[in-house]
Amino acid sequence: MDLSVIAGGIMIAFGALAAGIGNGVLFSRYLEGIARQPEARGTLFGQAMVTLGLVEALPIISIAFGLLVLFGVI
Amino acid sequence: MEITPKIKFLGLTFDVTVMIGTLVTAILVLILVLAATRGRSMRPRGMQNVMEMVLEFIQGITQMMLPPKKAAKYLSFAVTVFLFVFIANELGVIVMVTSEVHKPIAWLGLTKQALESAKGEVSWFKSPTSDINVTVAMAFAIALYAHFAGLFKSPRRYFGHYFKPYALMFPLHIIDELAKPTTHAARLWANIFAGEVLILILRNGLPYLTGIPLMAWIGFSLFVGAIQAYIFTVLAMVYISQKIADEDH
Repeated sequence: MDLSVIAGGIMIAFGALAAGIGNGVLFSRYLEGIARQPEARGTLFGQAMVTLGLVEALPIISIAFGLLVLFGVI
Repeated sequence: MEITPKIKFLGLTFDVTVMIGTLVTAILVLILVLAATRGRSMRPRGMQNVMEMVLEFIQGITQMMLPPKKAAKYLSFAVTVFLFVFIANELGVIVMVTSEVHKPIAWLGLTKQALESAKGEVSWFKSPTSDINVTVAMAFAIALYAHFAGLFKSPRRYFGHYFKPYALMFPLHIIDELAKPTTHAARLWANIFAGEVLILILRNGLPYLTGIPLMAWIGFSLFVGAIQAYIFTVLAMVYISQKIADEDH
């Protein structure tokens, strides 16, 4: 069996795992912030979305390279 | 995966889809901005409203990131970057142009083997930001500009900052300066590339994948494209402001 399939699978799996942990921490803190100060919901939502974009970047880089490995481009 | 036509010229390989994509995006941005600023009035209507909203949105970024005197100077640059990246991201999700090619076309790099492996399906349009060369070029151009802006502002401070707070930190500063444009480029490219590949997989996949999951993913891709355009602009402004900021800032 071609080992690149396993390599790509591992890269995508760990990317998803890391993104799950990161987003979990981010949004649990976001909900805590809303629970403490419900009137700050609007500003917190914008900040949370921007941080989501920053957090999501590193796992998605891993996933993109995983897809490249999976399809045998590199 | 589909194959893309490529041109070999002077030993370099040019991807035709990326060139078409960049051209279409640039022309669309030009048309959009020209249409929005035709017949401006004090009471904005229609497109002018949208463009004013975008301008004020980007003005928020520049005023947040840059010293007040510099914010107005970099506004047009930030708006250009934002509009180009945003339109490019969204076009890649919405537009898709493929054709079936049966005869090999040598000068476009469509050989018989490549056509057979892709079942004759050739892609003619993709988001320029889903190609790593485009984003790397953009990110390194911004980084180069930031370095020169810092150098011309005050050479002594520019070189001094590499040895702060200790001279031993010099290697770390070099790694930092190289990592910034690399992650800046990879962040945008990876998001858009992974999104487009997943759309292709869902489209060509099993029948139960092409309905609701594809629609949900396209919706998420539109959202990610907007967020990444915003983050690309914010990071560009952050990297420039780090170099040109005053000492007391």
